[in-house]
Amino acid sequence: MSTFRVVLAIILLAIGMLFILLSVIGVFRMKFVMNRMHAAALGDTCGLLFMILGLITISGFTFTSLKLLGVLVLFWLTSPVSGHLLSNMVKSTMNSDLTVHADQKELENKAK
Amino acid sequence: MDGNLEIFLKAVIIFCACISIICFVRAVIGPTIPDRLVAINMIGTQMIIIISVLTILLKEAWLADVAAVYALLSFLGVVVLTKIYIGIYRKKHAELFGEEEETDGISIQESQVNDK
Repeated sequence: MSTFRVVLAIILLAIGMLFILLSVIGVFRMKFVMNRMHAAALGDTCGLLFMILGLITISGFTFTSLKLLGVLVLFWLTSPVSGHLLSNMVKSTMNSDLTVHADQKELENKAK
Repeated sequence: MDGNLEIFLKAVIIFCACISIICFVRAVIGPTIPDRLVAINMIGTQMIIIISVLTILLKEAWLADVAAVYALLSFLGVVVLTKIYIGIYRKKHAELFGEEEETDGISIQESQVNDK
């Protein structure tokens, strides 16, 4: 394997790792479920995309890389649906106003 | 395969394992049930990435099929848990506030608009 392909694969995998790290930081820093879902979707889309692109760069034009692309397509089809179901669950099980951020709500409670 | 690349792939696997442990911490301390489900969903993503890296590292093509099945199973888990939790919530809500309270998404939105 040529050096260019190795370097390209390492760069793509590093970008994917960076996206996953950002999504985990977002999941821990955000205060509300919807914000956390937004941060988690970053790792679900961009993280998996760059990881699989790096692995396809290593593998080349083989049947394995086609299968990995199939995994990516399958996950991209199912991840928005599960995100929609989760947000639907949040919406239908919470009686409070969802447009208010959690910090704002805490401030209002303190003001009262 | 290049030796450096093999070491890097192992590092990626260790990184994803550490991230999934951190997500498990979020799932334990998550204040509400949707928080826990989001964290479990992220653990599923990390597992799919680990299996995909193992496909290339071990040169076993069938592990990609395992990753696809894992993606479908984690999606199925989220679907079933959300449906069950919404059902339990509606049952509790009907016990507390009577049967006339419809907890459908649209009617909740309308009731919020009426509250304002």
